[in-house]
Amino acid sequence: MKRNHLFFLCGLALAAAALIFTGCASTQQASGSKLWAQNCTRCHNNRSPASFSEAQWEVALTHMRIRANLTAEEHKAILDFLKTANN
Amino acid sequence: MTKRQAAITALSLALSGAGGMVFGQAAPNDQFVSKEEYNKLLQRYEQLEKHVAEIMRKSAGVSMPQASATPPTNYVSQAVFDELKKEVEETHSMAKNSFLGTTKMNLTGYGSASFISQNHISQEHGGDRKFNAQFNPLFLWKLSDKVFFEGEMEFELSGANTIVNWEQAHLSYLANDYVTLDAGKFLNPMNSYVERFHMAWVNRLPDQPLAVYDGLLPETLMGAQIRGGVPLGPTKFNYSIFAANSFPLSSDNNGMLDFGNFDNLGQNFIGGGHVGFLPIPQLEIGYGMMMGQVDGDAGNPTALFQSADLNFVQDSEALRGLLRLNAQWVWSHVGGYAYTGQDPFHNSRDGGYAQISYRPNKWGSPFLSKLEPVFRFDTLRQKDTPDNTDESRYTLGMNYWFGPMTVLKFAYQFDHNNGGVGHNAWLMQFATGF
Repeated sequence: MKRNHLFFLCGLALAAAALIFTGCASTQQASGSKLWAQNCTRCHNNRSPASFSEAQWEVALTHMRIRANLTAEEHKAILDFLKTANN
Repeated sequence: MTKRQAAITALSLALSGAGGMVFGQAAPNDQFVSKEEYNKLLQRYEQLEKHVAEIMRKSAGVSMPQASATPPTNYVSQAVFDELKKEVEETHSMAKNSFLGTTKMNLTGYGSASFISQNHISQEHGGDRKFNAQFNPLFLWKLSDKVFFEGEMEFELSGANTIVNWEQAHLSYLANDYVTLDAGKFLNPMNSYVERFHMAWVNRLPDQPLAVYDGLLPETLMGAQIRGGVPLGPTKFNYSIFAANSFPLSSDNNGMLDFGNFDNLGQNFIGGGHVGFLPIPQLEIGYGMMMGQVDGDAGNPTALFQSADLNFVQDSEALRGLLRLNAQWVWSHVGGYAYTGQDPFHNSRDGGYAQISYRPNKWGSPFLSKLEPVFRFDTLRQKDTPDNTDESRYTLGMNYWFGPMTVLKFAYQFDHNNGGVGHNAWLMQFATGF
């Protein structure tokens, strides 16, 4: 039983590793929209930028900066994107 | 002169006078000006000429913008203008943030309605067949650019009563780009499932996995933490380090801990942390641990908790959709302790889950793009403890997404309980985030 679980987890890890090389991009110089897609989708579906006002996004993004361990740079880029895309 | 000659002369004079009178009346006045009028017009002309000369002299000092290589000195460049604009905006923002009563608050959260129907229901072996509902409002309060508060309540039905839980209430201080200080009651940072995926609209299945939720690790901690994310070239890692109140051993004397008790009667603390590494944005591999003395009537044994997690998400054309892989394994060990009414036992347990889901959002079908098949394996192994069970479950689910935050979930669960009774179950949940 223990061995089966180990094989199962190893299989998952290998599948993930194989998928990594099917089309991945560097984190460097990522735009706000790209960072938004990458960081938010990691846990949940992305809500429409229009669903919040600029003031609401400021609060929500600060919350996510803490919860998702975003750097200040990532936080700013995503917030700038959402503020311009929510019209 | 004869009378006849005198009469002719008089007639001629009379005719010439009458003619002159006639011609004098017929000549139009607007074709001729008097000397006086002429002088007046001349004077006006000279005034206008001076006026035009004055205008031309003044306008000679202002140059019109021209397409030349060197911009005129009395014009600022676009870059300088943008910089000035930015400075003005920043100053405006700083001034605005310094006002009393301008903090920003946001009410979000989630709610769900669930149904479960298990088989083999009996008083002896348990089991459920019922509807349930839950509501979790989340209060987010940005007090300034540096200070943030998060509070969460949970309203849950239990029998005839409504249970109200204080899930979270913590204050954060964003010290710099990579460090956030946080204190209060917060989600357990070493438990990636709880921190990231336990919310009803985020969790892909109607129920929670064994071991990681309401199992071997606490969901929340009362204490303080330091956390953040740091880029490392093209990769990134995140971290959290915390100290929190310890927990008492359960009164059941089965070696479990009562994670819902924050009284810290034994005056002990636990410490730990979590580190996550992202070699690429789509993949995160994490490890967390927590250690400290726990409170018991017969002593304070040392407990060690560990967790390893892997989370991968890929939304690509090649996959024609979005694929998620989530896995976490946790270990719990409580050191030697004399439990009342129990023979000595090795108090070690472990368990975890692995889950895969796929959202076919690039097949060109609006209906298909709303579906999401899910499979999860989860297990809790505690055969060596007084609980004497190893439970494993295989759950197959299908979700229908009404929107990015509203989902209807159906699932069937196969339950194998080595040492107990397995309850296969139909599960359903309607969940929304707001």
